[in-house]
Amino acid sequence: MKTKLLGAVTALLMAAAPAMAEYPEKAIQGIIQWGAGGSTDVVMRSITPHAEKILGGSVVMQNMTGGVGAIALKYVGAQAADGYTLLMGAENPQLYKVMGLGDSDYADFTPINLIARGVPLLVARPDAPYNTFAELVAYIAAHPNEVKFGSTGPGGLPSVITAMLSSEVALPVIAVPYDGDGPALTALQGGAIDVMPAVLGAAIEGIRAGRMKPLVLIDTTANPALPDVAPITEAYPAYAKYLPWGPFFGIFVKNGTPDAVVDKLQAAFGEATHNPEFVALIEGRGFSMLNLAGEDARSFLTNWQKTTAWLVFDAGAAKFSPADFGIARP
Amino acid sequence: MMDSLHYFLISWFDLQLLGLIALGTFAGIYVGAIPGLSVTMAVSILISFTFTWDIYPALSLMVGIYMGGVYGGSRTAILLNIPGAPSAIATALDGYPLAQKGEAGEAIGISTVMSFVGGAIGIAVLAIAAPAVSEFALRFQPRDYMLLAILGILLVGSLSGESLMKGVFAGALGLLIGAVGLDPLTAQERFTFGIIDLWGGISFIAVMIGLFGISEALMQLHHIDKLAIKQAISRIIPSWGAVRKYLPLSLQTSAIGVFIGALPGTGGDIAALLAYDHAKRVTKNPEVPFGQGAREGLVAPESANNAAVGGAFIPMITLGIPGDAVTAIIIGAMFIHGLNPGPMLMIDRPEMFWFIVGALVLANFFMLLFGLTGIRLFVKIVELPRPVLIPLILLLSIVGAYAVTNSLMDVYWALGFGVFGYFLKLYGYQVGPVILGVILSRLIDENWRRAIISDREDLGRLLWGTLSSPLSAVLLASVILIFVSQTPVWGMAGRGWRRLWGRK
Repeated sequence: MKTKLLGAVTALLMAAAPAMAEYPEKAIQGIIQWGAGGSTDVVMRSITPHAEKILGGSVVMQNMTGGVGAIALKYVGAQAADGYTLLMGAENPQLYKVMGLGDSDYADFTPINLIARGVPLLVARPDAPYNTFAELVAYIAAHPNEVKFGSTGPGGLPSVITAMLSSEVALPVIAVPYDGDGPALTALQGGAIDVMPAVLGAAIEGIRAGRMKPLVLIDTTANPALPDVAPITEAYPAYAKYLPWGPFFGIFVKNGTPDAVVDKLQAAFGEATHNPEFVALIEGRGFSMLNLAGEDARSFLTNWQKTTAWLVFDAGAAKFSPADFGIARP
Repeated sequence: MMDSLHYFLISWFDLQLLGLIALGTFAGIYVGAIPGLSVTMAVSILISFTFTWDIYPALSLMVGIYMGGVYGGSRTAILLNIPGAPSAIATALDGYPLAQKGEAGEAIGISTVMSFVGGAIGIAVLAIAAPAVSEFALRFQPRDYMLLAILGILLVGSLSGESLMKGVFAGALGLLIGAVGLDPLTAQERFTFGIIDLWGGISFIAVMIGLFGISEALMQLHHIDKLAIKQAISRIIPSWGAVRKYLPLSLQTSAIGVFIGALPGTGGDIAALLAYDHAKRVTKNPEVPFGQGAREGLVAPESANNAAVGGAFIPMITLGIPGDAVTAIIIGAMFIHGLNPGPMLMIDRPEMFWFIVGALVLANFFMLLFGLTGIRLFVKIVELPRPVLIPLILLLSIVGAYAVTNSLMDVYWALGFGVFGYFLKLYGYQVGPVILGVILSRLIDENWRRAIISDREDLGRLLWGTLSSPLSAVLLASVILIFVSQTPVWGMAGRGWRRLWGRK
């Protein structure tokens, strides 16, 4: 108890104990792109303590929100490439260029670890008059511009999913924008919106309690967390060309960071993804572990960007064409 | 029932947990008192720090910090006119004038006791009626949030001081400041002039520190030679009579606080401002006018913001929906500790609910204890000679502004708004409406657009939807009533009414 009290005092004084080694010689700063309590935040704050132990240094995390994450990206881009500033982000930067949110994306950063991927699905309020994606499509056809879809702004997961779905079926719906999937799912439970394209992890507790019902998984296979919900390719095989697709979480450093530092960070975070507690958290929230680094991570990022940027552009939701930035059509 | 009681008392008979709650509350009071150091920040630092702990000690510390921090904001608001947190803005309006009169000790005493009352009401509602309240809070549609924000904007009438027109101008300016940055719904740039540093908007805490702290320091320069006010420290703990006198008001504003706190889109800052407005409306003959040190103006926001703590836990524990920024972080912490906060938490892990309630009750008692001790030392700050006090205020303001995001940008904003606030005050504009506008800007902007988009951008449909929902209709009626009551029409109608009835 004494140590805990003592420890708490030090935490409150925000003292970061400097570790003595070659790297890290001082505390590393971790910039989290999204707000405290959100999915990105939870993933980063739960993996980092395991990595700290392996690394033998401390990582002081800070949330830097705003501009769909662009502000954090810009901040880390402006720091020295010495491995003392980590960008702890989500998928969003890969769409900044086509969305007109700046001219930087993960191509300017070196992936340390792409940790996990989320599985998207459609959820509806429990009393909605449709139970499957086919029924939803039929209902929308009969009631155009009546069904309210939640959205999280341009380039957000719902906008991409809606673009993807619209490529095969007609979806004349109203998109009501919210600050994030949390507030939108709250609105769904209050009846302010009817359907929300969300990531499984954010909706799973609401589904278990019967406060929202899953319509379809936007994936090629069923998920162990929700074995009864059909993947969309079962009834609509045409979507297979886009899938699997999902938001992801990753840790990055600025390009030009010394190889030795990158290697050390990659080894530490790579090992941390195997920690049983962390694995349990990732699986419990319905994410799929990726654990990609190096070339694998690069090609994942490139493919993700190709698919998504063109999908959004073809749906008319992008400001600029991906071709302007040399992003090839998949 | 026995189980619930057992879980409720876990933290009461465990020395370690008891110690952590006390420590958290104590630290919270001081974190809350320093502008820029927020409870949100303290709790998110604790997440990484308490990672390896068990869930109980981690939660104990967080609950303590939260309760203490919400109260702590009132300290600097009363003594220095710098609200330590947004939820203490309304406290500064009458608290600081009291300190100027040499009654800082009494002001802190009464705000502490009323914070305790508010906190207790919040916890009681949480313990007794959490599921019902959260179901009701969920029913708020975008149009209801919009109406609530408009209700808040009407407070400009209470905060304008000498001239309503100047108040309206200041309020509109605040709305404009709040609109700077990337549009939260579409990520379009607004008033950013291509400057990327403006994408995130103007930090609202920096604006608050500038308008209150720095502009106050500048104003004080006019009176640099005046002797510091001697503070009466004979009566700090308010008499039973005083407590009883303000208790009805405290209960009413606590109710406002719990409910506004339970709404997922609003928190203690808006609760405290609405409570202040409520106090101003129901107190017919205050001993001292509002804005010049009315005790009612202190009782109302301080009851409400601490009641909002219990309120914010209501949707969090019952549904896994955060009631404010701090509970959002606590949800994150629970995930990290292997719990699944959501609608099933109450069923799967009922002990968590009762544990949190028990810890909150303890934190509330510790807040009363720590709040009432050490006041004598604190009020000495205001007795410092001005040439010492003014640099101290400036220092505190600058450190606070820097601490918001560890960036110099916010310091510049605070300094800029400090100078701006100085000129506003010099020309008879109140800074209260500006900050009100900044707080409500986003709420009103987002929800108006959500509401109109949901109704296919058809004003007729929106109006019909508003009138046909009892909740929206009541809110609309209150907006109209409060608006009309601030216009001359109200007085005329009142006189006509009395004539009509007085004649018989």
